Amino acid sequence: MILANGIVHPAEAQAAILAELPRKLCETLAAGAPDPEAVIHVLDAMGRRILNGDFDTWITVPELRAQLAQAGRSLERDVLQRKLETELGGMPDRPSNGLSPAVRRMPLGVLLHIAAGNMDALPAWSVIEGLLAGNINLLKLPQADSGLTIAFFRELISMEPKLRDFIYVFDTPSTDLEGMQMLADCADGIAVWGGDAAVSALRRMAKPGCRLIEWGHKLGFCYLSGDPPEEVLRDLAVHIISTRQLLCSSCQVIYLDTDSTAKITAFARRFLPVLEKAADRFPVRELRAKAELTLRRYTAELEQAMGTATSQCFLPGRGCSITVCADNALELSPMYGSVLVKALPQDQIIPVLREKKGYLQTAGLWCPDELREKLTERLLRSGVCRVLPPGRMSEAFPGEAHDGSYALAQYSRITNIL
Amino acid sequence: MRSAASRLFSSKDPFDTEKTDSLFVDAIRENVTFHRKNCPAYREMLAARNFTPDLLTDPDSLAKLPCLPTLLFKRHHLFSISEEKLPVRATSSGTGGQYSRIGLDWKSLFLGSKMVLRMAQWRELLSLRPTQYFILGYEPHKGNEMAVTKTALGSTFFAPAIRRHYALRWKDGQYAADLESILAQLQKAARGIFPVRFMGFPSYTYFLLKTMQERGIRCILPRHSRIMLGGGWKAHIAQQVDKQVLYDLIEKVLGVKQSHVVEFFGAVEHPILWTDCPAHHFHVPVYARVLIRDVQTLEPVPHGQPGLVNLLTPMIRACPLTSILTDDIGILHDGPCSCGIRSPWLELCGRTGLQDIRTCAAGAAELLKGAVS
Repeated sequence: MILANGIVHPAEAQAAILAELPRKLCETLAAGAPDPEAVIHVLDAMGRRILNGDFDTWITVPELRAQLAQAGRSLERDVLQRKLETELGGMPDRPSNGLSPAVRRMPLGVLLHIAAGNMDALPAWSVIEGLLAGNINLLKLPQADSGLTIAFFRELISMEPKLRDFIYVFDTPSTDLEGMQMLADCADGIAVWGGDAAVSALRRMAKPGCRLIEWGHKLGFCYLSGDPPEEVLRDLAVHIISTRQLLCSSCQVIYLDTDSTAKITAFARRFLPVLEKAADRFPVRELRAKAELTLRRYTAELEQAMGTATSQCFLPGRGCSITVCADNALELSPMYGSVLVKALPQDQIIPVLREKKGYLQTAGLWCPDELREKLTERLLRSGVCRVLPPGRMSEAFPGEAHDGSYALAQYSRITNIL
Repeated sequence: MRSAASRLFSSKDPFDTEKTDSLFVDAIRENVTFHRKNCPAYREMLAARNFTPDLLTDPDSLAKLPCLPTLLFKRHHLFSISEEKLPVRATSSGTGGQYSRIGLDWKSLFLGSKMVLRMAQWRELLSLRPTQYFILGYEPHKGNEMAVTKTALGSTFFAPAIRRHYALRWKDGQYAADLESILAQLQKAARGIFPVRFMGFPSYTYFLLKTMQERGIRCILPRHSRIMLGGGWKAHIAQQVDKQVLYDLIEKVLGVKQSHVVEFFGAVEHPILWTDCPAHHFHVPVYARVLIRDVQTLEPVPHGQPGLVNLLTPMIRACPLTSILTDDIGILHDGPCSCGIRSPWLELCGRTGLQDIRTCAAGAAELLKGAVS
């Protein structure tokens, strides 16, 4: 399915729509950007309808309805206005005084969004950000999209027909390189969500001069110095288990400020029952995840029987596991409550984290108060963008930046007029 | 007296699992006894789980034999015959960075070739007509020990080869895709009188045919042409190709009927040539048995229920590959099938775990909070 000009077309119409697209985009650009007030107004109205339960029939799984309510709340006028002020408020915008040129923020123009396939509301959210900055948005849906995104925008356009020419949604498969290239050729900027493969593929497609905005996958970790109290460990365990370690901000590795293997092993033994308790509260239901946990546990049991010493010590738990590692590299854990524990003395933070500089985002930090400033500084200097208490690593805040920048500013450009 | 394995691999009907059940158990016991004697690590693992070969008495007892996860072969080199004495060594393609290293001994190779011939004969792949082969995979060269490369090469001996065209050719020290020359040669071969055979990854085959379709190229292949698919459906491309879509595309672009499309499946840790039936089901052959195990307790589950796929075969003596626990989720379905084979068939439903992290943004995280509870 394709959404273009407010109408849902069959996938077969793609060639005709793509052929027409460059001309259509020029017409829309000539007519001017959508009024930000109109965008906020309709999103706010949409949010209220979502909270009102108008769209509950779209979603059959009750647990996902809670997610929908969350989405509704983030579309509230206040939230959006605050987002605009924070993300664009700092950008210069002043008239000419006759001597110096006028400075004006403009939308980038045409923005292509390549959405990741693993979170339902993400494609729509990316387009909403593009709209708030005033852009024309071309969205390439992930293969896994359930049809919700197109339904959402069709509804939005029926409420505010002026947005019709600013939202295009394509379900072009990623293997349709020609179609993808035509979309990329139309864009002033490409916002790409996804793993290394998706980002690299888009880098090849973008022409020189096309702005690439990469929201790639990140690796979260936790840094503990000293002896963290019980409640810190409890919060960290709940964070690890409840996010399933699936988010960019989820904790994959727990680093301890030490170079002693005995100390990290002792920590792992202390942490395991805490992690088990959290796993009891939020049991893993996904078949694949359960299978993965079972395989790892079983393999470790056999390895123990073989008597071969491996560089890792595997501690199986109920619905979770901890692996004590001999190395200190930041890496993806097997996820679903399978956390890695490694030693990292504080003077090694920068060299070790720099090895993964493109993947840094969130660090959970616990340390004695007198060390806080120094360690925070060190983490930030190595490239980390968020330093938070261990249990709150995935928390979001109003006015928060994304991977070190404001999306709306990325989707804008500064113009000068004299 | 001939070994049980040798008798098993001489079975006339490659799918009469019922009649060969007790012979299979004997062959497994023989094989386990051999590995237990010659591979100390394997002996330790069996001992730790209180297993002795005499526990193998009937088909139900096969579940008691400890199965070895493929992950174990990726981390350790387990051999029952010293590596230097082995005529064939192979590695897995190494999705995810780690790969298994195994070997084949002369006796296993002999049994294996009997199996391959039997399967090829049953699927009407043996032919004396000279054939042009198109291999949508790697050209063999000295440094390439990947099993898929060896299987692909092996499949070009079912009918005498006039020429083998490779999509991934070894040039200047690396593999490079050569789509244009493959297309040109394919068009030439289509005009000839000799049958054409494809062998390759389903995803590569799909990609080639899709390109041809987009360019409006149709190559109706000569009579007796065959399409062989192997190497898995997902390993080499993020996107999953629907089987039926591929069959339809093959018929449209190459004019080859669906029943002349043959798919193979196997793993370096389980080198049995699983061959699909004309209805495209992977029936359990006499050479192997399958147990589907509960994802939590690892106990066998009844047919029709999903679980971890445990593959058993007594074929290999070089490495303790008797009972392998894969990281595939699968379902064993009871026959009968429209093809007439009565043995159950295995459906693979994908890998365990999640291969990639989900992306998230500060804004999106707020949107999506609660997604995981």
